[in-house]
Amino acid sequence: MAKIKAIKINGLRGVREPLTLDLNKKSILVYGDNGTGKSSVTDSFEWFFYDKIEHLSNEEIGRRKGRDALRNIFIPETEDSFIELTFDESKLDSKKSIDSSLKSFNSNETDDFKKFIASSFSERLILRYRDLVQFIIAGKTDKLKELQNIIGFSEVQNIRDLLKRNGARIARNIKSANYDNLKNVQQSTILENLGQNAYTDEQLFDGANELVKPLKLGIEIKSRQDINIVLKKIESKEDSELLNQINFYTKIKESVAQIEGNVDNIYNSYSTFYDSFNALKKAPEKVKNLQLLSLLQEGKSVLTKDVVEDDYCPLCLQEKSKIDLIQDLNLRIEELELLNKEKEQVDNNSKDLQNSIKPNISAIEGLLTEKLFEKEEYSKLKETVEEIKISLNNHLDESKKELTEKLADKEKIKLDKKGVEELTSELVKTIKKLTESKEANLKFKTYTKLFQSAKAYVEYLKIEKEQNVLANQQATFELLYEDFIKRQEEALNVFLTMFSNDINDFYTTMNPNEKVEDIKLVPLKKNDELVGITIEYSFFNETHTPPIAYLSESHINCLGLSFFLASVKAFNKESKFFVLDDVISSFDRSHRYRFAQLLTTRFSDYQVILLTHEKEFFELVSSEVKSKGWILNNFKWTKDDGTGIERGIADIKDRIKKKIEDKNTDGLGNDIRVYTERVMKRVALEIEAKVAYRNNDINEKRMAPELLDAVQSKLTKASKELKEKANIPKIKGMPMFIGNTTSHDNSFQESIEDLEAIWEDVKGLIHNFYCSDCDKFLSFKFYDNVENKIRCGCGSLKFDWKR
Amino acid sequence: MDNKIKSGKDVINEFFAEILNVEGTDENTVNKLIELYGDNKFTDSNIQNALEELKQEAIKPKKIKEDGEN
Repeated sequence: MAKIKAIKINGLRGVREPLTLDLNKKSILVYGDNGTGKSSVTDSFEWFFYDKIEHLSNEEIGRRKGRDALRNIFIPETEDSFIELTFDESKLDSKKSIDSSLKSFNSNETDDFKKFIASSFSERLILRYRDLVQFIIAGKTDKLKELQNIIGFSEVQNIRDLLKRNGARIARNIKSANYDNLKNVQQSTILENLGQNAYTDEQLFDGANELVKPLKLGIEIKSRQDINIVLKKIESKEDSELLNQINFYTKIKESVAQIEGNVDNIYNSYSTFYDSFNALKKAPEKVKNLQLLSLLQEGKSVLTKDVVEDDYCPLCLQEKSKIDLIQDLNLRIEELELLNKEKEQVDNNSKDLQNSIKPNISAIEGLLTEKLFEKEEYSKLKETVEEIKISLNNHLDESKKELTEKLADKEKIKLDKKGVEELTSELVKTIKKLTESKEANLKFKTYTKLFQSAKAYVEYLKIEKEQNVLANQQATFELLYEDFIKRQEEALNVFLTMFSNDINDFYTTMNPNEKVEDIKLVPLKKNDELVGITIEYSFFNETHTPPIAYLSESHINCLGLSFFLASVKAFNKESKFFVLDDVISSFDRSHRYRFAQLLTTRFSDYQVILLTHEKEFFELVSSEVKSKGWILNNFKWTKDDGTGIERGIADIKDRIKKKIEDKNTDGLGNDIRVYTERVMKRVALEIEAKVAYRNNDINEKRMAPELLDAVQSKLTKASKELKEKANIPKIKGMPMFIGNTTSHDNSFQESIEDLEAIWEDVKGLIHNFYCSDCDKFLSFKFYDNVENKIRCGCGSLKFDWKR
Repeated sequence: MDNKIKSGKDVINEFFAEILNVEGTDENTVNKLIELYGDNKFTDSNIQNALEELKQEAIKPKKIKEDGEN
């Protein structure tokens, strides 16, 4: 797994001049006040891996994945902005640049790098404060979606939905086609003509042989080919007109009989649609509110993407906690989504109704194109058929009505079943009459009956085959769906159990002895369907859910952080690093310290980039993380350079050593002065040497002479022994310490030998106050009240001290 | 977390690798689904079209042979 050796950023977001973080695979704690550009690092990082900056991808800033706001506005058009990452595996090193036309390109185009970037999409690399509690306060459906997204189960859910949807669609098609009715219609034609039903070839051949027996043709029908031979033999061209008439009536009879068999089905479909439609209409306010769903969803997006950064409602501008607002929106959205599901059910019922009607309408439309209908003698029949079509179309019109409209009463719109039955019966009689109108002509009668029954039998087989195919397909999808959900649920349960253990572990590590334990992610089901995920935990042995109702904001944040860290362990397979950007804002002191310990102990094998704008947190955990090999950095922002790094004490010391080694006097005096000022400030703090009050930031700008004077004055009162050893006046008399704020940066010309001597004296001075064994300064924190001595942390450095 | 956790891809791949073992299913339909998944075409409309093709293929009238066999 990869770790980062260095990050170099130039011209991105707040970074104007090149910013380099040499990490050498180490974790880093970065402090920077608000506006110093910490987030520029996070944003650039996000762009490098995900090719977008989510919180900048909105209407206000530009929807081009945040690229519009990516380049620093002071970067010349001719210059590319970039972020360059080097890794311990050099094959992954890459520089991602963006030019002034917002075209971006990567220097590394190898498959290894592409694979690495692709895998980062399923990894958890960045957590910002604004995203910390998203999962915790999300509704159950969103929780499921979010979790499925990050564990790569969205595709699983897609496949599951596809299997279910197709199974249900086939079932609906079977129901609306009403195959049994269609088969009955064909069997009734066979019965009318053959005097018996024919469900098999044998039954058809038996009936056919009985039918043709009086003709004494000397042919025994044993196949459908034989039927064709017999039909050809007894066919008469003279009777074609009559035959056309019989075929015409038969077609009409079959279509009307289909409708007759479908009347109850259509009535039931209409009733289901009618009832669900009116049930939804009973809550007009709710229905009206459905129109707000997209507005609320957009509002939530605005809040979660931090378009509005402070705690107020962007619509009414009243003060309100952002977490509370998002939580309120989640509840309202969830309620409306439930209502939307009801609406979808009404829509589905409407579609079912349409599907049960449309085949009948198509059949009638086909009939109405028959040539014989153009003749006057059939006009009455045509009118009757058209009336049925109008009645069917009325149902269709009702199915398309909006919720604001009123549906026709079920009983009033109902198809006239009796009328349809009478028409079928009338048509059967007509066909019989026509068939037998040439009673003397046995051949014609036999031909017509054999022809109609053979045709109906073929149609019957076709319908049955279609019905079987669809039934098999439906059964297949249902069985596959069952198998698939078992696999999905098993995998999800394994994941949730292990994932919950990690979350619980991290949370209880940060919140020991608080009686909140056994935190679990629990799947929620409705009608055997996975509909969401909730968080359960035990509080004084009682199970509670959801967490937002009982936990404080700080605890909810802890839970969010635990969730992220558990995700890192679960999903980061290629990247052994992650960024935490200002995630501890709402934590109290004890949580902060435990959080730092959690990172240094449980994530010691990871590379953590921890950014904070809280000085107190930075100071609280600095020694903890530094002792574990972390790098510490301060960010600063200047008008000319934008975001940059403020040199730390350790950096300055290294620089001084390097310059002395290289015999380089350039700026060496200033470096020694700055270093002395930084250390003496710390000394003054630890021994409580008083300096004059200065307001806010000016307080930070203490000059060496002032600090040295303050320490000397304190030593005069408190410790003669230390005063003599430290010999502050010797240091104070050195050239670089004679000056004031305005001359702070004035350099002076000394030889390298002089500077080496000064550096040795400064080190000597500092060694009186700082213990390298325990890495601690002399401090009142370690004051020995028995011996009246001031000590370092381990006690190897101690002096008499009068309090 | 350890290797026992299956990714979404693992779950799907295992399902399609063992799909023919699911009892009571129609082989033609299952084979068609495997084919669509393998071709990265496992979408609603492709499934519907494939099922319709299978149905049409099944109900297509067979040519009646001269010896009278159906």
